[in-house]
Amino acid sequence: MKSRLWKLMLVALIGGILIFSGTAQALEVRDGKKILVFGGRQPAPNIDPSQYYDWSTRMLQQSLYDALLKYVESPPKIVPWLAEKWEVSPDAKVWTFHLVKNAKFHNGDPVTAEAVKFSFDRTLSIKKGPAWMLLDVLDPSGIKVIDDYTIQFTLSKPYAPFVAVLPWWYIMNPKVVKAHEKGNDQGQEWMKDGDAGSGPFKKKRWEHGVLYEMEAVADYWRGWENPNHPDGIIYRLIRESSSQRIAIQKGQCDIVEGLSPEDYDVVAKYPGIYVTNDPGLTTFGVKMSNQKGYTKDVNIRKAISYAFDYDSLIKIYNGNAILEDSPFPIGLKGHVPTDIYRQDLKKAKEYMEKAGHPDGGFELEYVYVQGLEEERKIGLVLIDNLSKLGIKVKMVPLTWPNMVARGSKAETSPDMMAVFVTPIFNDPDVVAYQYHKGSWGKYYGSAHYNNADVWELTDKARTISNWEERAKIYEKIQQVIKDDAPEIFGMQYNRRWAFRDHVKGFVFCPMRFTGEVDLYPLYIEK
Amino acid sequence: MKQYILKRLLLIVLTLFGLITIIFVISRVAPGDPARLAAGPDATEEMVEVLRKEFGLDKPLIVQYIDYIRGLVTGNLGRSLRTRHLVLDDLIQFFPATFELTVFSLLLAVALGIPLGVLCAVYRDRFLDHSARVFSVSGVALPMFWLALMLQLFLALKFDFLPVGGRLGMLTEAPRSITHLYLIDSVVTGNWSVFKDALRHIMLPAFVLSFPALASIIRVNRAEMLEVLNKDYIVNARAHGISKVRITGHYALKNALIPTTTMIGLRYGWMLGGTILVETVFDWPGTGLYAVQGAVFSDFQPIMGVALLVGLNFMLANLIIDLIYGVLDPRVRYE
Amino acid sequence: MGERNATTEAQPVGALGAWAQWKEEHESLFRDIRLSFYLFSKSPLSVIGMVIVGIFFLITLAGPLIVPFPEDATGAVHMAQKLRYPGSGFWFGTDEMGRDIFTRVILGTRISLRIGLIIVGVAMGIGVPLGITAGFVGGWLNEVIMRITDIFLSIPGLVLALAIIGALGPGITNSMIALSLVWWPGYVRLVQGKTLSLKEESFIEAARSVGASKARIIFFHILPNCTSPIIVKASMDMGMAILAAAGLGFIGVGAQPPSPEWGAMISIARNYLPNWWWYAMFPGLAIFITVLGFNLLGDGLRDILDPQSRGYYRE
Repeated sequence: MKSRLWKLMLVALIGGILIFSGTAQALEVRDGKKILVFGGRQPAPNIDPSQYYDWSTRMLQQSLYDALLKYVESPPKIVPWLAEKWEVSPDAKVWTFHLVKNAKFHNGDPVTAEAVKFSFDRTLSIKKGPAWMLLDVLDPSGIKVIDDYTIQFTLSKPYAPFVAVLPWWYIMNPKVVKAHEKGNDQGQEWMKDGDAGSGPFKKKRWEHGVLYEMEAVADYWRGWENPNHPDGIIYRLIRESSSQRIAIQKGQCDIVEGLSPEDYDVVAKYPGIYVTNDPGLTTFGVKMSNQKGYTKDVNIRKAISYAFDYDSLIKIYNGNAILEDSPFPIGLKGHVPTDIYRQDLKKAKEYMEKAGHPDGGFELEYVYVQGLEEERKIGLVLIDNLSKLGIKVKMVPLTWPNMVARGSKAETSPDMMAVFVTPIFNDPDVVAYQYHKGSWGKYYGSAHYNNADVWELTDKARTISNWEERAKIYEKIQQVIKDDAPEIFGMQYNRRWAFRDHVKGFVFCPMRFTGEVDLYPLYIEK
Repeated sequence: MKQYILKRLLLIVLTLFGLITIIFVISRVAPGDPARLAAGPDATEEMVEVLRKEFGLDKPLIVQYIDYIRGLVTGNLGRSLRTRHLVLDDLIQFFPATFELTVFSLLLAVALGIPLGVLCAVYRDRFLDHSARVFSVSGVALPMFWLALMLQLFLALKFDFLPVGGRLGMLTEAPRSITHLYLIDSVVTGNWSVFKDALRHIMLPAFVLSFPALASIIRVNRAEMLEVLNKDYIVNARAHGISKVRITGHYALKNALIPTTTMIGLRYGWMLGGTILVETVFDWPGTGLYAVQGAVFSDFQPIMGVALLVGLNFMLANLIIDLIYGVLDPRVRYE
Repeated sequence: MGERNATTEAQPVGALGAWAQWKEEHESLFRDIRLSFYLFSKSPLSVIGMVIVGIFFLITLAGPLIVPFPEDATGAVHMAQKLRYPGSGFWFGTDEMGRDIFTRVILGTRISLRIGLIIVGVAMGIGVPLGITAGFVGGWLNEVIMRITDIFLSIPGLVLALAIIGALGPGITNSMIALSLVWWPGYVRLVQGKTLSLKEESFIEAARSVGASKARIIFFHILPNCTSPIIVKASMDMGMAILAAAGLGFIGVGAQPPSPEWGAMISIARNYLPNWWWYAMFPGLAIFITVLGFNLLGDGLRDILDPQSRGYYRE
């Protein structure tokens, strides 16, 4: 009996091995079609352009939809897209756009001024997603259809950065949306998984939590620059970086994002893989409470700014980051370098003395988003650096909503709060306004920075449509903010992706989010 | 019998009701503003207010509670704040993956555990027995997520033997949905390459998930077998010259199966809890992963939905096991 | 026994005599203890468990004295030496911030001990009184307590804990609250059952018949007789609580960095697999050995203290 049993088990074991020693799958081509697989960590549960955006969502939105204008290249520029040209009144209030005549939605309907008006109305009235960008300056009543291919926006107050916002307002097909309205939900229920766009790709297979597949629109109205464009794209969810790494190494994925700096360096050495490395516009800073506690004193803030070891920021990113040299990110329109703070313990101690705390002896909170690796590491660096001034640092990880809630009021705002900010559009106003009183209550306004001169200048710059004039104002703003040291001005990390060699045509544009790739220009070359 | 089942079902409903109440009370005494998260980082106060209204978060707690219960009665489990998906839709989508994983793990544990337990009893105090003992002692002490990582490290990352995670390969298309269980659907549709792919993907997570159950099934079976093997009638049978294999397989095993059966219901519940860890490691798109994402984002309704679903499953499984127990052991009567 | 004490007190004896007397009177107790030790030492696994737990306690006490870089557990960073191989300088290698993993694993014992003690302590604090009340008073109070207990037991602990954390927000304190809240029902079940059976015992009947107060019966008769199973369960639960808390730390809702909690360490370390495998390896081994120790100890204790339930392992 004994031997029979063992034999049986042996057979089972061998059988198991035979079943499981699988073969590598042939990828890229299915039914003669070239399909690119993008391995990303963040799901896209709601792709309605009026409801939601984050990097993964917007990558899909940019593929399925078109906007009036589009951001391309680095440094970022705005190119005509659905709108071929536009005019603006000198007071930056009335904007007129002329649409291209050959654009059509996925179901064949033409993209008209009516559709543009419908889309803007929808986003403004649903009041979600990108609505905040224009809620203050644009009312639905200010949008006028001049003729089928001309549309005019009259803003409620002058807003010079208007054009910079438009690439994020996607145009939807009114017929499709209206056909799927439920009650008065304006199609929100259907549109979170729906496709009412005119973009280069259309929706194919949606498996939430697993993958999103799109197929190329063969007769895309704008055409394809390269005949070898992918016939389809699969955005595949891979939530763990070691899995992502394996996937790109084995060629199961063609593009991956979100690897650790160490992992990028490892895969870059693999044959058949290249890793891009471009400076982004996302800034990292540690906002200090300007309204209460020890950091209310500008001397303490300067002491901290001088005590911080800026080089460790670069090390955390394995050299793939640049230090900020101004409150405005390098590469943003209107940025000028300033004489920024660098580590200088002597100066730091001088400022501690000026503040009346030569030996420190107090504790500051450092609040950051729970789970964000880099913010956590930077907190550890702060503990180390500030201990030299006799300042203790208490690390407080919070979920995003809790952190925002704390930062929203001057009384509860943490002493130090780690914040990544990505300028959503390419205009200095987007950063300058973060230091405006109007940003108090927002996560990037948690410092509750208080300088009426800066506020006034910011308001004034918005109303001028002449760029040279505006640029001078922004130069001054940057200098003043730097002197007030409302935060530790940190770094801008590089955006990185790993690609398989056969993926070509990648165009980096820092206006896109970290992780987000413009899929339209990609093509395949074997 | 019918009355007994009805009584048990009523009890299940009441218990679920209590469960909802408890979680509801705990959840709503907590501070925090989930609407702000859902509205996005740049949202204005006005936009956050829109969401709060839409989700009824501006109403008093008791009204929210009544609304939730009213929704439950009509089969509405609420909506995720973050994704705005209906929780019921999400559960329908994600639960088959979890169910497939759990049941497969359970079968694996039983299929390996019972024979091993029997062999341990038959070859008592021999090498196999000792190693199984070490295994079963360590089985419950091993951190499941760590075991998962180590298996991933050796079987998937270092040696390319099994896939690292997911339910299917990158380009494998899911089989036509009948039961939503890939293993069954692929067999029904005769799609053997998908079946193989699905099997390869389920192997590691299922093994990890079954590990603690396997340990205890071996242990219990061994103990039961030993007890039964020393019973008079077995000794008698042996004295009558009935072969050892027949005794072990026929007489003893049948009796030893009863306690194993009762364990399975409990183990099923424990495994559903374990999916939280295992699905996180293996990127398994099921309710465990769904619940973790909800918890991290303080997204309340999805977690509540998963808690209800798991609770219901757990209690129904126990009811079914109790009924099976009655069939196996005629001495049991239902009152 | 009371009477005998009275008589011995009357006799004038020296200190040594009193000791001898006392020893003689408690002869049976000593025999019990000796037997227990004998039984215990006969079971090698229990001894291993005891040794592991002993070492664990020693490490928690001596931790800061024996680690090479105590500052590495509180947030020091050494970017120049990140992700070093395990070797003579760093026994378990270094992590992504250049910190000594050995130091962090060793100092992690304190956190684990605290987690275990608090969870089990709170669970006992809630569960034992409720269990005794339910079992002793009976009636509708018993019904209410047991139904509420059943609700908590109707769902796997980890799922309920996750739901509670989802409400309270992540963090080590919240995860300990959540785990304490899901842990107490086990003690209610255990103590209630034990109390019910004790209530029927003749010596309780006897105490009641001579007019002992309820409080006296509970504290002098029922509670002491419940201690053995409670100790056994507590020992097992120490390990399981540490394991559960590590699980929560791993999925990112438990302990937060720079705390060297083992689960949280592994949660970060998984991003460094497979090249930097040691980072995830050693904290995991620490959890495994610790939990194993408490389980084996509990198992051994059960064999001695609670012989009826012998043979089953944590069911």
